[in-house]
Amino acid sequence: MATTATKSVNAKLVLLGDVGAGKSSLVLRFVKGQFIDFQESTIGAAFFSQTIAVNDATVKFEIWDTAGQERYHSLAPMYYRGAAAAIVVYDITNPISFTRAKKWVQELQGQGNTNMITALAGNKSDLLDARKVTTEEAQTYAEENNLFFMETSAKSATNVNEIFYEIAKRLPRAQPVQNPAGMVLMDRPVERTAGASCCS
Amino acid sequence: MASNSTSTLHLDNDNNHDDGQNPIPNPNPSSPKTSEESFRSLTINEPDDIDKEDSAALANGSMDPDHGVRDEIEVSGDLKESVPGAEAAVVAEIVEEEVEGPSERSPSPSSSGYAGERGSSGGGIEEADEDDDGGLTVEAGSDSATEMQDDAFMSWRKRKKHFFVLSNSGKPIYSRYGDEHKLAGFSATLQAIISFVENSGDRIKFVRAGKHQVVFLVKGPIYLVCISCTEEPYEALRGQLELIYGQMLLILTKSVNRCFEKNPKYDMTSLLGGTEAVFSSLIHSFSWNPATFLHAYTCLPLAYSTRQAAGAILQDVADSGVLFAILMCKHKVVSLVGAQKASLHPDDMLLLANFVLSSESFRTSESFSPICLPKYNPMAFLYAYVHYFDDDMYLILLTTSSDSFYHLKDCRIRVEKVLLKSNVLSEVQRSMLDGGLHVEELPVDSSVSSGTLSPHLGPPPVGIGGPAGLWHFIYRSIYLDQYVSSEFSSPINSSRQQKRLYRAYQKLYASMHDRDTGAHKTQFRKDENYVLLCWITQDFELYAAFDPLADKASAIKICNRVCQWIRDLENEIFLLGASPFSW
Repeated sequence: MATTATKSVNAKLVLLGDVGAGKSSLVLRFVKGQFIDFQESTIGAAFFSQTIAVNDATVKFEIWDTAGQERYHSLAPMYYRGAAAAIVVYDITNPISFTRAKKWVQELQGQGNTNMITALAGNKSDLLDARKVTTEEAQTYAEENNLFFMETSAKSATNVNEIFYEIAKRLPRAQPVQNPAGMVLMDRPVERTAGASCCS
Repeated sequence: MASNSTSTLHLDNDNNHDDGQNPIPNPNPSSPKTSEESFRSLTINEPDDIDKEDSAALANGSMDPDHGVRDEIEVSGDLKESVPGAEAAVVAEIVEEEVEGPSERSPSPSSSGYAGERGSSGGGIEEADEDDDGGLTVEAGSDSATEMQDDAFMSWRKRKKHFFVLSNSGKPIYSRYGDEHKLAGFSATLQAIISFVENSGDRIKFVRAGKHQVVFLVKGPIYLVCISCTEEPYEALRGQLELIYGQMLLILTKSVNRCFEKNPKYDMTSLLGGTEAVFSSLIHSFSWNPATFLHAYTCLPLAYSTRQAAGAILQDVADSGVLFAILMCKHKVVSLVGAQKASLHPDDMLLLANFVLSSESFRTSESFSPICLPKYNPMAFLYAYVHYFDDDMYLILLTTSSDSFYHLKDCRIRVEKVLLKSNVLSEVQRSMLDGGLHVEELPVDSSVSSGTLSPHLGPPPVGIGGPAGLWHFIYRSIYLDQYVSSEFSSPINSSRQQKRLYRAYQKLYASMHDRDTGAHKTQFRKDENYVLLCWITQDFELYAAFDPLADKASAIKICNRVCQWIRDLENEIFLLGASPFSW
């Protein structure tokens, strides 16, 4: 009952990016705290949900981890339509994936959903020796396009929770509560603890 | 007589009197005086090859003495008149060089430069499979750690069974072994052979070069080729190419043809990115999964009421706008339901299950992915919701609507609740442990075989083979489009032996369904490995393998008993009623 003051926000979040950029790895690190060296290709899109507590609200992310394969590109709108946030992922060791990321940003901006929060994630930041995309280049691009930018590493868990928290903070608080309050109340205590462990 | 619907092999009586005691295989049985040609022993694998040989031999007769290799070309229709012998010989020769001859290119060390590329890594995964692929040579094993995988390498050439997919402009799309991109020259050669024959208004079906068989399948702009020295029948290899094509359609739909209409030089490899495991798993199933040639599916044995409970909740879900609801355990069906008038082809099920089982990503979380069922509608995507309940058991919900994920997710939650409450999940796990039918449990006295028999009581018996030397059987119900296969028992323990038996069945199946000579009713054949008995009626097909010393009369008796046994157990081993199949 002490939680009645907090707001609950449901947020659809989609991950986009080239094959092998590390979308699934980021999600698995965020949702399950796991990392697998040889992550298999995603088929279609995988669905995850994760709830975190930010300031005065709990945010329940409904995450679509899309496949990077070319054949699924035309299906991407199915997953990003109506999304509150998107993380466009590239691999800092692979310039092609950065180019591909820019195309995704363009496509998202072309959709006209101005409220969508878009993050740019330069993944595999642990592979400093193999870096091909400089932080400055990506940072500049992000500023020009009104994205927020972080370099992440799913392997070393660097900035993974942070990027999701940053998105959660930026989500509009005024979002109408979609679920009847009575239903949501049951979930809140659980969600809070899950969120707390994520923060630490 | 054999075909009448009482489904008892009456023929045995006739034969017992005649030659039932004679265990010697008889290539040309002189004695079958039954009304049907009852027991036709075949010792020749591919009679149709031989038939066609006269025409082909004419064509390439000039080559034989020189090379000591028998080359045959079979082309459909009237090519034998339209193509001069010399030209046909050229075609055969090209293939022979590529497959068997000394390499015309020196092995280039630089070929391994793309060590990490997708094609070679896909090949690497499979090598474990290939090691027992009909007994592979030492060389293949020794290069399993390397990536020297293109046509310049002997190790690549020594592979027993190659599969290639290429476009009609000769661009490589898929190769079982090696990196497609490095096989551009080889692909172009295959394309040249196909188009050479096409240019004369004909179609090439296969080329024989020594012990190698090169089988071609043309599907619009996509060419599929198998090069094999496994001695599998042409029909079987062709069926395998059809399945590979089907698997491609499942991933991409037939609309991929449009890419080639726009740009004939289109490079399709990128469209199939990340699916190497799907194809290698399918190709592997060609050597263990009878569904690949029987065109039937198999069920996990379950108590009738358990399967009914699962079917009821799936039906419930299907009524809410789901096209197909399929509950499976590995490759076996627990239950499945289709919306009204929707029917699911067993081949589509095979390809769908293979796709789901071989894609690790489905196990990580619930997924929503476009897939196409080629026999249902090759042009359109359906959307598949896939969720694993445990390591083996998964639910597939198929819908036509791309935005029904949340609905399907709700459906899954409902299904899961019911399955837990009605103990279906635990029953399924128990059945997985118990296995299926064991030949040792075949009721010896037919009078005992009442319907109360359950194969799942007690631990599985130690494999010692069944009565009268029965080692194994496969029973396919024609109306149900389902088959049941006995567990492998002691004489057939190793995977190599199992694969050999599988190939023997495959050959038996092909000879029984030979289009040229018409379908057969029964076949009894014997070689140093087995006695094989096949019996086909309007209702079922039975394939049984016995000890090579088994005698014909008792083998036939046992087959009748197996059929009775299956009928007694059909409630448990088949999915009955409400079947969306076989309309």
